[in-house]
Amino acid sequence: MSSIAELLWAEKYRPRSLDEIVNQEEIVKRLKKFVEEKNMPHLLFVGPPGTGKTTAAHALAHDLYGENYLQYMLELNASDERGIDTIRTKVKEFARSRTPPGVPFKIVLLDEADNMTADAQQALRRLMEMYTASTRFILIANFPSKIIEPIQSRCALFRFTPLKKEDVIARLKWICEQEKCKYTEEGLETIYEISEGDMRRAINVLQAAAAIGTVTPDIVYKVVGLAHPREIREMIKLALDGQFQRARDQLRQLMINYGLSGVDVIKQIHREIFSQELKLPEELRVMIADYAGEIQFRLVEGADDEIQLSAFLAWLTLLGQKMRASS
Amino acid sequence: MSQRIPWVIKYRPKRIADVANQDQAKEKFIPWLRQWLQGRPPEKKAALFYGPAGVGKTSLVEAAAHEYGLELIEMNASDFRRKEDIERIAKVAATQMSLFGRRKIILLDEVDGISGTADRGGLDAILELIKITKHPIVMTANDPWDQKLRPLREASLMIPFNRLSERYVVQVLKRICAAERIECEDAALKYIAQRCEGDLRSAINDLQAIAEGYGKVTLDIVRNLVVSRDRQYTPWEMLRNLFMSKYAWQAKRAVTHTDLDYETILQWINENIPNQYTDPEDVWRAFESLARADIYLGRIKRTLSWDLLSYVFDLAGPGVALARKKSKFRWAKYSFPQKIMLLAKTKEMREIREALADAIAKRIHTSRTTVKREVLPYLMIIFRERPDYAARIAVGYNLTDNMIKYLAGPLYSQVKEHINMLLLRMEKPATASTRVETRATQPQTKNEEAGTSKARRATRKSSRRRRKGGGTQTTLPL
Repeated sequence: MSSIAELLWAEKYRPRSLDEIVNQEEIVKRLKKFVEEKNMPHLLFVGPPGTGKTTAAHALAHDLYGENYLQYMLELNASDERGIDTIRTKVKEFARSRTPPGVPFKIVLLDEADNMTADAQQALRRLMEMYTASTRFILIANFPSKIIEPIQSRCALFRFTPLKKEDVIARLKWICEQEKCKYTEEGLETIYEISEGDMRRAINVLQAAAAIGTVTPDIVYKVVGLAHPREIREMIKLALDGQFQRARDQLRQLMINYGLSGVDVIKQIHREIFSQELKLPEELRVMIADYAGEIQFRLVEGADDEIQLSAFLAWLTLLGQKMRASS
Repeated sequence: MSQRIPWVIKYRPKRIADVANQDQAKEKFIPWLRQWLQGRPPEKKAALFYGPAGVGKTSLVEAAAHEYGLELIEMNASDFRRKEDIERIAKVAATQMSLFGRRKIILLDEVDGISGTADRGGLDAILELIKITKHPIVMTANDPWDQKLRPLREASLMIPFNRLSERYVVQVLKRICAAERIECEDAALKYIAQRCEGDLRSAINDLQAIAEGYGKVTLDIVRNLVVSRDRQYTPWEMLRNLFMSKYAWQAKRAVTHTDLDYETILQWINENIPNQYTDPEDVWRAFESLARADIYLGRIKRTLSWDLLSYVFDLAGPGVALARKKSKFRWAKYSFPQKIMLLAKTKEMREIREALADAIAKRIHTSRTTVKREVLPYLMIIFRERPDYAARIAVGYNLTDNMIKYLAGPLYSQVKEHINMLLLRMEKPATASTRVETRATQPQTKNEEAGTSKARRATRKSSRRRRKGGGTQTTLPL
C-alpha cells in the first residue's frame, strides 16, 4: 500500500526528530537541552509561516516521549477551536490523562495563539498556571506583539527566522532526489523566491510543479499562476473598465468555483494590485490597497462577503471612471 | 428594458377631465385657479391638496397646467433646505410674467415631508413665498394635520382628495392593458384594485411589474405577487419605495415596513443598487452606506445590542436612497438576490471543502484556514493536471468521492478510474506487481508519460474487463 498511496510532501518530508532539523541551529541546540534534562519551561515560538515552529514542537515531543508522542501532546488550533471554553475543557481533560513514563509533564501545543483575543489570552494564562505541575504549554505565533505581556513573561521565547536560501534549496534538492524528479537549478531558485523563506509553501509548490513536469522556472510560474485564479485579475479589470455588473458576476463565479471566502478573495485582490500585469497609475495601487485593507478588516469582523466586496468593486468602478476622465 | 418609461408617467392624465373621481376637489380648485388667470389673485394665494397617496393630487396640477398652457415650476419641500433653490423659486414667484408671457404655476410637492425634518427654516421659506408670489402656488401633502404645518394650513385654501373607487381603478388598469396590448383577466385587475386601497399609482406599478415580468396578467400570478399591503411591503415594493424616496423618513419607512428579515433586506438592496443607479459615484455611495449597515448588523449579532438596529435601517434606507445625486430616477427592473440562491447551491460544496481541510490539517499539523489557503490550491492543480498521481494522493488521504470531485472538477472520472486501477492492483498483487512498480515511481514528466500511455490504456482496458466480467468489488477497506 505504501508504494501506491502518496502523501503531501509537506507531511512526507517533515523532520520527525530534532536531529533531522537542518536549520535553526541555535534553537535546536536549546531544545535538545530540554530533552536531556527532561524538563522545560512554557515555550513561545514566534516567527513567519513555514519556518519550522510546529515541526520543532513535534520533534521536541517526539524526542521526549518516543514514537507514540502524540498521546502525551494535546494539539489545539486557536483559529479552529471555538473559543476559550473549548480550549479550557480540552486542557482540563488532557491534564487528567495518563502521565508519560520518565517525563514529569505533558505538552499542550497551541498553534496560532496570536489569533486569540486579549481576553481569551488572559483566560489562557490562568489555565497555564492552574496546570503547571503536570503540563507545559508550547504557544506558536506569527507576531509576538500580539501575545499579551503576562504570557510572554511566563514563556521562554524562541524566535524563528525565515530560512536561508541555501537551506531551502538544499532541502528541495534532497526531496527531488528522494522522489526522482527532474529539476533545474533555476527552477528551485524560483521556488525559493516565490516562497520567501516559507518552507511549507516551497514544498507545496515543488510537489505541484513536479507533478506537471520538469521543475523549471516556467513550470513554477505556471503552478503559482494556477494557484491564484486568473479570474481575480479579470474581475479587477472589468470593474476598472466600468463594468460593475460583470465584475460582480465574476466575483460570484469565483466564490462558487473555487469555494473562496470573502477574505480569500480580498487577499488575492491585494496580491494582484501590485502586479505589473495590472496597468494602473502607481499611486492608485496604494489607495486601492488601503480600501482593500478596510474591507478585509470588516470581513474578519464578521461582515457579509457579498455586500462588502460589492462595495469594493463599486469603488474600483468609480476609480476607473475617474482615471479615464483625467487621462 | 431599463429605459422603459414607468406607466405612471406614460399614462398620466393630460386634461383636467381625465382626473376622475375627484369632482369635489375640482369644484374648489378650478374657480380658484380661474381667479388667478383672470388677473385677480384670490385671498388665499396658495392651495393645499391633501389626501392619500396615488389619488391624483399631483396629476391634477399637471393636467391643469397642460390644459391652461401654464408653465409648471416644480419643487420638492426638501429642496427648501438649499439656499440656491429657494432663491430660484423666489425669483420666479416674485416676477410678474416670464419673458415670453407664459403664465406659471408653482407646485411644491409633499410639503408634509418638511415637518418630518423639523426644519423650521424650510417652513418659513414657504410662508415667505406665499406672501410675495405673483403666481398660483399649489402644495400637496398626505397628512397636513401636523402641528408644525398649522401656519401653512392657515395661509392656504384646503382642498381634500378622496380615495379612488375600486371600479375606477379597474377602469384605468383596463385602459392601460388595452393600450399596451396585454392579455389580462378582469378578476386579476379587480384583485389589484382591491389591494391597492384606492392608490392608483401603486396599482399601476403593480400592473406594470407583473405585465413585464410575465407578459400577461392572470388572477393566479396576481394572487401570488400582490401581497395584501397592510403597509407591509413586498421586496419589490420596498425597493421601489426606497429608491423613489426623496426624504430620509420615506426611505426609512420603506425598509422598516416589510416582513423580510434584516439580512434579506440588505441582500435585496445589495442586488439592486446597480439596477437602479447609473452613475458610478452614486453606486459606490449607496454600496458604502449599505456596507456600513452590514457592519452594524454584524456588531448586533456579535454583541446582541439590538439598540443598534436603528442604525442598520438608517444606513440601508436613507443612506442608500439619498446616495443618488447624478443618476436620474428611472423605472428599474429589480431582480432576486443571487446570494441567497448561490448560498443554497454552494452549501454542500463548502461543507466538503471544510471536511477536506480538516482531514489534511490534522495530518500536517496546521489550521484548516492555512490548509485552505496554502495547500488546497496546489492539490487542486495536481488533481486537474495529473489524475494518475492525484489518485495516489486520494488513496493516501482516504479522500471521499465528494472531496475528489471538489479537487478534480471535470477530471473527476479520470481520477476515479485511476483509483480503481490502484485498488485492483492492491487486490491482485501477483498479476499487477510489475505495473505497480513502474507506476509507483514518483511523478513523471509529460514526456515519460507519453511513452507509457500505451501501457496505461492497456491497463485501463483490462481493469474494465475485469470489473465487468469478474464483478470485482472496487471498494476496499483502506
